[in-house]
Amino acid sequence: MAEAEPVRKHVEQALEALSGVLLGKEKQIRLALTCLLAQGHLLIEDVPGMGKTTLAHALARVLGVADTRIQFTSDMLPADIIGVSVFDANDSRFRFHPGPVFTQLLLADEINRATPKTQSALLEAMEEGQVSVDGERFTLPTPFFVIATQNPSSQFGTFPLPESQLDRFLMRITLGYPAPEVERQLLAGGGTHLQARQLAQCLTPEQLLQAQAACRQVHASSSLIGYVQRLLQHTRDAVGFSYGVSPRGGLALLRCARTWAWLAGRDHVVPEDVQAVLDAVVGHRIRSADDLAGHEGDRLVAQLLAEVDVIGQ
Amino acid sequence: MKGQQISRTAVVWQLLAVALVVLPHLQWLPLWVPVLVVASLGARLMIHRGRWSFPHWSVKTALVVASSGGLILSFNHQAGPETMVALLVVALALKLLEIYHRRDALIVLFVTLFVAATAFLFNESVWMAGYILLVVILTLAALNSIQQASDANRYRDNLKTALHMLLPAIPFMLVLFFLFPRLEPFWSVTIDTATAKTGLSDELSPGDISELSQSSELAFRATFSGEVPPPDQRYWRALVLSHFDGRRWSRPEPAVRHSLRAEKLTPLSPEQPYDVIMEASGRPWLVALDQPVAVEPGLRMSAVRTLHLDAPLERRRQYQASAVTRYRLQPLLTSAERQHYLQLPASGNPQSRALAQRLLAANNGDPQAVIRQLLAQFNREFIYTLAPGRLGSDSVDRFLFDSQQGYCEHFTSATAFVLRSADIPARVVTGYQGGEWNPYERYLQVRQYDAHAWVEVWLDGEGWQRLDPTSAVAPERIRTSAGEFFNANNERFSRGGLELEWLRDMRQRYDAFNYAWQRWVLNYQGQQSDLLKDWLGGSEQWRLILAWLLPTAAVFGGVAWWQLRPRRVRIKDPLERALLRLQQRLTGENCRRQPAESLSMWLQRIAGYWPEQQSQMLRLAWLDDQQRYAAGADQTMRTEMLQLCRQLLRELPGRRIP
Repeated sequence: MAEAEPVRKHVEQALEALSGVLLGKEKQIRLALTCLLAQGHLLIEDVPGMGKTTLAHALARVLGVADTRIQFTSDMLPADIIGVSVFDANDSRFRFHPGPVFTQLLLADEINRATPKTQSALLEAMEEGQVSVDGERFTLPTPFFVIATQNPSSQFGTFPLPESQLDRFLMRITLGYPAPEVERQLLAGGGTHLQARQLAQCLTPEQLLQAQAACRQVHASSSLIGYVQRLLQHTRDAVGFSYGVSPRGGLALLRCARTWAWLAGRDHVVPEDVQAVLDAVVGHRIRSADDLAGHEGDRLVAQLLAEVDVIGQ
Repeated sequence: MKGQQISRTAVVWQLLAVALVVLPHLQWLPLWVPVLVVASLGARLMIHRGRWSFPHWSVKTALVVASSGGLILSFNHQAGPETMVALLVVALALKLLEIYHRRDALIVLFVTLFVAATAFLFNESVWMAGYILLVVILTLAALNSIQQASDANRYRDNLKTALHMLLPAIPFMLVLFFLFPRLEPFWSVTIDTATAKTGLSDELSPGDISELSQSSELAFRATFSGEVPPPDQRYWRALVLSHFDGRRWSRPEPAVRHSLRAEKLTPLSPEQPYDVIMEASGRPWLVALDQPVAVEPGLRMSAVRTLHLDAPLERRRQYQASAVTRYRLQPLLTSAERQHYLQLPASGNPQSRALAQRLLAANNGDPQAVIRQLLAQFNREFIYTLAPGRLGSDSVDRFLFDSQQGYCEHFTSATAFVLRSADIPARVVTGYQGGEWNPYERYLQVRQYDAHAWVEVWLDGEGWQRLDPTSAVAPERIRTSAGEFFNANNERFSRGGLELEWLRDMRQRYDAFNYAWQRWVLNYQGQQSDLLKDWLGGSEQWRLILAWLLPTAAVFGGVAWWQLRPRRVRIKDPLERALLRLQQRLTGENCRRQPAESLSMWLQRIAGYWPEQQSQMLRLAWLDDQQRYAAGADQTMRTEMLQLCRQLLRELPGRRIP
């Protein structure tokens, strides 16, 4: 852990910088960073204009990674994301023109506006880390993050992501309206977009990789793993849950908890770490038995926390 | 549940249980009922194999009508237990034809259990108990198998489950056996078995007892708490016959019987208490050892000191009495009584009357000398045999002067006649004499062939004395048991088969086993009332009800508690136990640990409430966090935590925040 300590200093600087851009959203910023350090993709769900894009741009800046933004629309095709092979008359052969997906941090704005076909093209790239065009395989750069934003699917003109694709996102967070105090500050200070562009890079790509490796080293004791397992089991057994969390969801939870613990400066995971990331990691993976729209994740998470004892007997 | 299919295994179990439960009833059921059962079983098997389809409703209706008619015709409108059991069996057979669902199978099996219980109405032996236990196990296996999925085909598993289900039933069975009050049935259950009961009749004519001597059926068994009387003292009185009509000795008319005074008995030897288990005889009288002095309440003693019940004995019954072997009975007779015991028909048997006068004259009217001479004559000239031939009219004359051979009733009848003719009061007593001693269970076993008749003669100043003319002609019949005597004189008594020693031993052991069963299981009633008296200090109704209700409530309450008790897992780790106790101690409104709180979070939250213990609590919080979640926890941490826990438990006084 000793060699990772300076890296953690840099990460804390990044957190501080981000907090300056997105006022009053420390928890969400920390969660977003946790998600990226845990090498997962992030889904930000909120109504337009809450600062989703700002957060994505700011993250790209402080992490020093190349970022591309795609605005999804309902007439978008998979080739608009992946790229397209074009016939080159000079060389007498097809040449692949990489699409916007060939980047390190992809901001997929309003992913639920696109058709399922286009969505799935992106999600496949997220899962595999590569794209196939005309039988040829192209590897995506590393690190590769996707920060997707979506409007709540109850709004008009959206194609809600099915459960299988929601599962590909490590976390789903919502930003929410700012606190009145923060909002007044925001209104007085003018637009924030400019500030995000002006942020300094806080981490080198090597440092980012080091941080990711350090997170994986955080110790999770058998007591803690027992608690995580009981949480998962409860989502499968208890009344009120339509379906439970998959083992992949469980692994995701533990990975995020480790990262959260590392961000907090601990070398071991404690239950509070699990509880801190639980809503973001598990909220979009469970569904209430009497809710079909999938918007009661946070209520179920509260139920989960109240019903599962930290100390197993 | 209704729509569930039942498995093939379940069908086989059901058929087996039904077939076996009907088996014990075969001996008395009208023939068409077993035929119906077999036909239904066969039809059920064919339906089960898919060869036949379920019968049409019209067929079923016809069967119901025909069976009802058959029951009415077979049982002659009698609503006895046989009719009811036959109705159950018929219903069982018909229900077999319409098992569609699990519910139908349940009905069949419940009725099967009921029919199994009815078997005890007809036979209470230990063998039947064992057999019914087997049937119950099979029925339980069937019940188990119909609750299983239709593809489960494990006969052995069903059987195992059935046995496991019986095991916890044993304590309940014992509680029921010992404490359930043996109430008299609300209705009278009279079962006429096919074989008429053999036993003493209420009169004595020549040939009655020799007929009984062919029967080895058990009459009664007796146990003695003290000394066992020698064989020649084992006279069991049943009836006193004092009226002679020229051929038959019988009891006097009820009006005459009631005019007799209760006879006064002065014991000359200590009382001998004993216990009798009398087999059902269909007659109201019981046997009592000569002479009874004290009997248990519920039994009646007549004026002539014989025992009887108010109603015929339809079930085996156990009773206690005591006897004296030496006594003085009724030393004074009124003239009416004297006349009663001298009664003879006006005419008939002239030779015997003349013999009486001759004896009287030869002995100067001394009754004892008359008796001695008569018996000496028997001893010299008469033959004791079971096949005396027919005697015709004036039977006493024919016996005394022509055939001169006979069985105990001939000697008794003739003796009583001659004595009465000689003006000596005499009467005939019937009952049993002797019996076989069973050394294994130490009881006396008396069979019908031990039936006997003897004379009681009244002597001035001495009262009634027993006089057995058979002992004069065949003393060994009195000294040994009837069984042995007949065996030793096998040819003369023309009783088939020689009994081997080892066979007799086996038979005695077998009988001893049956006796123990009857005494300890079937006739538990007597001991139960003693037991209840000892335990409860009385046997009133309310005591019985309480004695029944309280243990039952205790047992069922115990079972309910065991099932519903809060399941607290026993924690082995002393540290975890101490931490849990700490949590249980601090359960105030804001103190209680929330499920989502780890111990260290909780301790940090509440540490502020107790400033004096704050540092210990924070230390404990840190230690718990380390040992529970960090890598490399060690024993010293646990030891320190345990100490901290105990210290906090000591110092933190109550549940409330101060």
